[in-house]
Amino acid sequence: MRSDAPADAGFDDPLADRVNEARLATLGLLVAGLVHEINTPLGAINSNHDVLRRALGKLQDILADEVVEPHELDEVRRIVRAVDGILRVNDLAVERMRGLVSNLRNFGRIDGSGTDMADLHEGIDSTLAILAHELRPISVVKEFGELPRVPCRPQQVNQVFMNLLMNARQATPDGGSITIRTARLGDAVQVQISDTGAGIPSGQLGRIFEPGFTTRDGRIGMGLGLAICRQIVDRHGGRLHAASEPGRGATFTLHLPLVQPPRIEETVQRSPDRTEASHDEANSDTR
Amino acid sequence: MTMQNTVMVVDDEVMVTAALRSFLELETSYRVLGYTSARAALDALQTESVDVIVADFMMPEMDGITFLKAARDSRPLTSRVLLTGYADKENAIRAINDAGLYYYLEKPWNNDHLRLVIRNGIERSSLFNELDSRVAALESAHMELHGVRRRLLQAFR
Repeated sequence: MRSDAPADAGFDDPLADRVNEARLATLGLLVAGLVHEINTPLGAINSNHDVLRRALGKLQDILADEVVEPHELDEVRRIVRAVDGILRVNDLAVERMRGLVSNLRNFGRIDGSGTDMADLHEGIDSTLAILAHELRPISVVKEFGELPRVPCRPQQVNQVFMNLLMNARQATPDGGSITIRTARLGDAVQVQISDTGAGIPSGQLGRIFEPGFTTRDGRIGMGLGLAICRQIVDRHGGRLHAASEPGRGATFTLHLPLVQPPRIEETVQRSPDRTEASHDEANSDTR
Repeated sequence: MTMQNTVMVVDDEVMVTAALRSFLELETSYRVLGYTSARAALDALQTESVDVIVADFMMPEMDGITFLKAARDSRPLTSRVLLTGYADKENAIRAINDAGLYYYLEKPWNNDHLRLVIRNGIERSSLFNELDSRVAALESAHMELHGVRRRLLQAFR
């Protein structure tokens, strides 16, 4: 159920422009991650191909005189064992590559800018797949509840996931963890992303959603920034806030309603005080 | 050949440990120990005698450099080889000097090259081991001579 009304096209919409910019940066990350991720199954298959050729050569040598000596049987058994191992690794490698292609396809499918009934878990998984390389040094824990499909613009919501996950990654030292919890709460869904990083100083917690706020000097911003994230969520009639205890990580909580206002793209302009309310909420989490 | 040489392969991807195992078991007589957890590999090093360790760089529990540094503490004479994807190359090379590694290999690896690196690594380890035991033998001979000299001096005093 897409509604590609002209108003969705994004002309004269600075938010849509910035979402597109961020998506280009995401694409770059996707390619870099994919290149690395594909290297493992490729390396395995590359090596296995070579080993299969060697194994075949050894078998041909044994069969060359058309008589298999008893002592050669041990060698044949060794070769069979190696080939068996190789086939199992190749199954894994092919499965991995199939998964990578499927993630790409998934990423492409949800790439539309229109409104859709989206499976948020699919969006989170797809975003995690794109970030797999970045996230490798830390562990990601998924505590997914039962979620119905959510009416939203998947492209934008995935960009929010991307941004929150990248922030969490950058805040978390290697060896730490990120936990993603999802749950349905009445007529809304909740997604929480927690990290085990240094946390956000209470003085900064109220400011992190301000446009232009950053603690990372000189970093190329691949994301949208939390200000835009909140704008996206506001447009969906949802809420985004942060809680943190310095030294004990931070938790970003996203609520999206299951029933959307009729034209989600206009919500921000029509109710500017919504942003204010969300800011107050963020501040109230500063404990 | 009196003793079977042992190669330890550590990579969080079972695909890599299994592919290396298949190759080494087909083409060499080495005993191959494969681990997908760096911590488990460190535990194993407490009891296993290993000639060469080949470890991946990007691993979730600890990176390959950290692992190989820790491995040096328990097995200082073992040759340590880092296996890296090209994306980690710069970081890896910078860290290699620091950890005193024997070699670094890039993924995707070439089997012949890998075998050569491992064979040379084994040779290097066994030379170190031999040197180590010769030094120990010299030391004990020296101690023995010292004792003999003392006894002689006492006898003729």
